[in-house]
Amino acid sequence: MDEKMNHSLFTFSRSLLHGICLNEKRHRLISFNAFIVSFILIFSTLCSGSDQKPDTLKQLIDMYDPTSCQECHEEIYAQWQNSHHARSITGIFMDRYLKKGPLSVKNPEEATQKNFPCFKCHLPQLEKATDGVAAEIAAVILNNDKTTIQKLNISCMVCHQDKGVVHGLPESNVMYGPKAEKEYPEEEHMRVKKSPFMKQAAMCGQCHGLGPIFEFEHPIQCATLYGSYLHAYIPTGGSNTCQDCHMKKADHTCPPNFNDRKDVSERLRQALPMEVNTLAYRFQPTENRFVPMIVLKTKITSTAGHRIPDG
Amino acid sequence: MPQSTASLDNTMVYGPDIKLGIIRDTSIQPFMSKEELFEIKMPETIKKVDIEINLTYQLRPGDIYPIHRIVKQISVENP
Repeated sequence: MDEKMNHSLFTFSRSLLHGICLNEKRHRLISFNAFIVSFILIFSTLCSGSDQKPDTLKQLIDMYDPTSCQECHEEIYAQWQNSHHARSITGIFMDRYLKKGPLSVKNPEEATQKNFPCFKCHLPQLEKATDGVAAEIAAVILNNDKTTIQKLNISCMVCHQDKGVVHGLPESNVMYGPKAEKEYPEEEHMRVKKSPFMKQAAMCGQCHGLGPIFEFEHPIQCATLYGSYLHAYIPTGGSNTCQDCHMKKADHTCPPNFNDRKDVSERLRQALPMEVNTLAYRFQPTENRFVPMIVLKTKITSTAGHRIPDG
Repeated sequence: MPQSTASLDNTMVYGPDIKLGIIRDTSIQPFMSKEELFEIKMPETIKKVDIEINLTYQLRPGDIYPIHRIVKQISVENP
């Protein structure tokens, strides 16, 4: 977009320059030309900002590499490693969508941010990169390059930087957290700022689904959990946030972890208590006939903050 | 579960790349209940019935997470 804007501005400037300078002296033309060039350079810098868009997959992976966080936040890092956030691309059959159906491409180079919308939530940092990186990721998925796929995830910076604030853009080189600001030596840590938004359900709602998403070349519909939270849980008196149930004591495993089958069953048991009532009697269809009957009544009531199941 | 079509006709489809709009929702919404009633005729010679009720969650066909298992024995004899 910046390139297009700069190109249009440059074209416009050249036309303007040409018109103005027809009857001017040569030294004035040179002087004005120099002014326009300076203006364009300054404008270009302002438009693009100081952050360079990663244009290779390696640059993007390095930019969001969470291993430096691990050094001090070992326990949280270990929890995150066991979470679905750490494997947001693996196991969801993305290669199927790239091979067949409306999102398919004939070759990976055709994949862009606009035509492969899964990345909006499964790798939101791609928004900061170029379409070339989208194509590289498509190639990685189609070639089943597991080593690289494992490095593509919802890492610390996605939530604590990019998604950590609303009502404005995140500041560069700032990490956001739900608690009070801490002072760190600048050379060891980024600045940390308190973001009350991180305690809100809307924080998770940024990715966990309102319903259909229409903003891409092909619409998609993945999770609808946050929609259910907003339109079913809150109107019926619910007051917990997503974090209250899925990040208790700041647990970055963010259960359920569907690989921990026992824990998933236990969580479902708590979320969906079931009552069973039985009745046995002898039914009399005709005068001399008695048929034993069983009547079973089951009742499941949801205590969850969203629909179960979703998908 | 929420059942979606491609919003082109009334055929249910799977997959986030095709689904667009929920046409029917059999999932359980927060604070809502689902009740089911089963009336089962037994053979006339039966005196006792063992009942096992299982509630399970299937993430994908065959991928079953057990939730509840309730076992009851009921007598259908006259006291």
